[in-house]
Amino acid sequence: MLLEIKDIHVHYGKIEALKGVSLEVDEGEIVTLIGANGAGKTTTLKTISGLRGLSSGSVFFDGKDISRLPGHKRVLVGIGQSPEGRGVFPGMTVTENLLMGAYARRGDFSKDLAEVFELFPRLAERKDQAGGTMSGGEQQMVAIGRALMSKPKVLLLDEPSMGLAPMLVAQIFSIIKEINARGTTVLLVEQNAQQALQLAHRAYVLETGRVVKSAPAADLLDDPQVREAYLGGALGQH
Amino acid sequence: MLNDFISQVGPSTVGGLASGAIYALIALGYTMVYGVLRLINFAHSEIFMIGSFAALFVINLMGITGPLSGIALVGTMLLLLLASMAASGGAAVVLERVAYRPLRRRGASRLAALISAIGASIFLQELFALVIIPEVFDRPSQGRNQVPVPRLFDRETVFSIGNTDIRNDHLFIIVAAVVMMVLLDVFVNRTRIGRGIRATSQDPETAVLMGVNIDSIIRTTFLVGGAMAGVAALLYAMEFENLRFNVGFLLGVKAFTAAVLGGIGNLRGALLGGLMLGLIENWGSIFFGSEWKDVIAFSVLVLVLLFRPTGILGESLQRARA
Repeated sequence: MLLEIKDIHVHYGKIEALKGVSLEVDEGEIVTLIGANGAGKTTTLKTISGLRGLSSGSVFFDGKDISRLPGHKRVLVGIGQSPEGRGVFPGMTVTENLLMGAYARRGDFSKDLAEVFELFPRLAERKDQAGGTMSGGEQQMVAIGRALMSKPKVLLLDEPSMGLAPMLVAQIFSIIKEINARGTTVLLVEQNAQQALQLAHRAYVLETGRVVKSAPAADLLDDPQVREAYLGGALGQH
Repeated sequence: MLNDFISQVGPSTVGGLASGAIYALIALGYTMVYGVLRLINFAHSEIFMIGSFAALFVINLMGITGPLSGIALVGTMLLLLLASMAASGGAAVVLERVAYRPLRRRGASRLAALISAIGASIFLQELFALVIIPEVFDRPSQGRNQVPVPRLFDRETVFSIGNTDIRNDHLFIIVAAVVMMVLLDVFVNRTRIGRGIRATSQDPETAVLMGVNIDSIIRTTFLVGGAMAGVAALLYAMEFENLRFNVGFLLGVKAFTAAVLGGIGNLRGALLGGLMLGLIENWGSIFFGSEWKDVIAFSVLVLVLLFRPTGILGESLQRARA
């Protein structure tokens, strides 16, 4: 198992945001975490990447317990993240943003940079533009490309479809598929459950800080309860 | 009045640029720390003061009592620069470790850090007035008086533009400040650590995801901002030849003003704000007399902020931050 979360509890002050979440991601998979606003999806990702401390439970990555590893060291073990709201550095150019992804690594990054530009030709056209002046879709590309620059073993994506037009969402999702096909494991957090379930191999459903369901993604697409809660309830189409 | 202005505008421009350069160097420390912590380090004025006394300490240690020249002058200046930069930079790092980091760790509010800063500022002033100036500088029971600095080199006119004589001390201040600014600009914009500083000031949480060690970036920021105040401290001691335990206070307020005027968080803004403040003070003095200097400076600040609340080069918080 590449990533294994065992019974984690996370608190914001006195409020318990995660009440014993366990999940596993195997090498090569796309796993998605779906659920309503406030279910704890972003908190789960932040706990994996070390931005939030956990009160109990543990996070195992690549066989090692990383529960107490400081956030800035987790990128080195192979965890790359495109955060909620994209987190593009507004005053840096596209190229500088991408280079930030390789901040923890040493050496020559020109090959990695070329690879990201090949995956996102749009970014190559805009490489000297300030991150803050880009459109939402372009910023999402910067965030994903930047995470790839760290050469992650697992890519954590927090709501990549947020605020994007349907055509762009389709484009981003097909790039995620391509990234996975090239060998990077993906853990995808989404509110757009329909598209996420179509893309992923397996899925977890999170409700108020707990995992309430876990199954192959295709099964959840046909699950009446999931359809009711997250897929608009419409029957007989997906 | 206009004739007065025309005859005095040249010299007061040179003087204004020299004081402005000193303001700008100090302003860098305020603006850099604000960039990464969103905190005004009110003890930065004492970081400057410590650097100025460090320079004087080395001057005394070397037994310098009168003007130097030639290779002895160059060597001495480099040594003094090193001493004041190290003292100010080191003091800034200690200050961060003792007065700010423990609060940050416990999630204290920025107001708590502000009080801590004011406390550290008063502590350091009194430490110098009560202990260090009487003991180390051998002035028993005169800790609150001025401490003279010997003249380091003879002041001469290097060249003239029209009726304006350009003196070597003014030229030295302006050149030294510009060189430091250029070095800092290259450091922040072209190096890996500089990128880490900018990333931290633009989005600290995402910076952590990139592998940026925020604590180490904050320490570096205090070190570099402090070292710049150290440069200013040497230039000030050399030019004004008098130090005091509270020498940093008014200069600190002015430098902070310069940082806000230029746009807090913006390095080039600090340079622009510093030079503008120096020029405005000196030009204004021609019309109103030099006793109105400070009134003019702060009136201009209020006026500028009325029309550009984020400062001249300032942008909204989400936007670019050098």
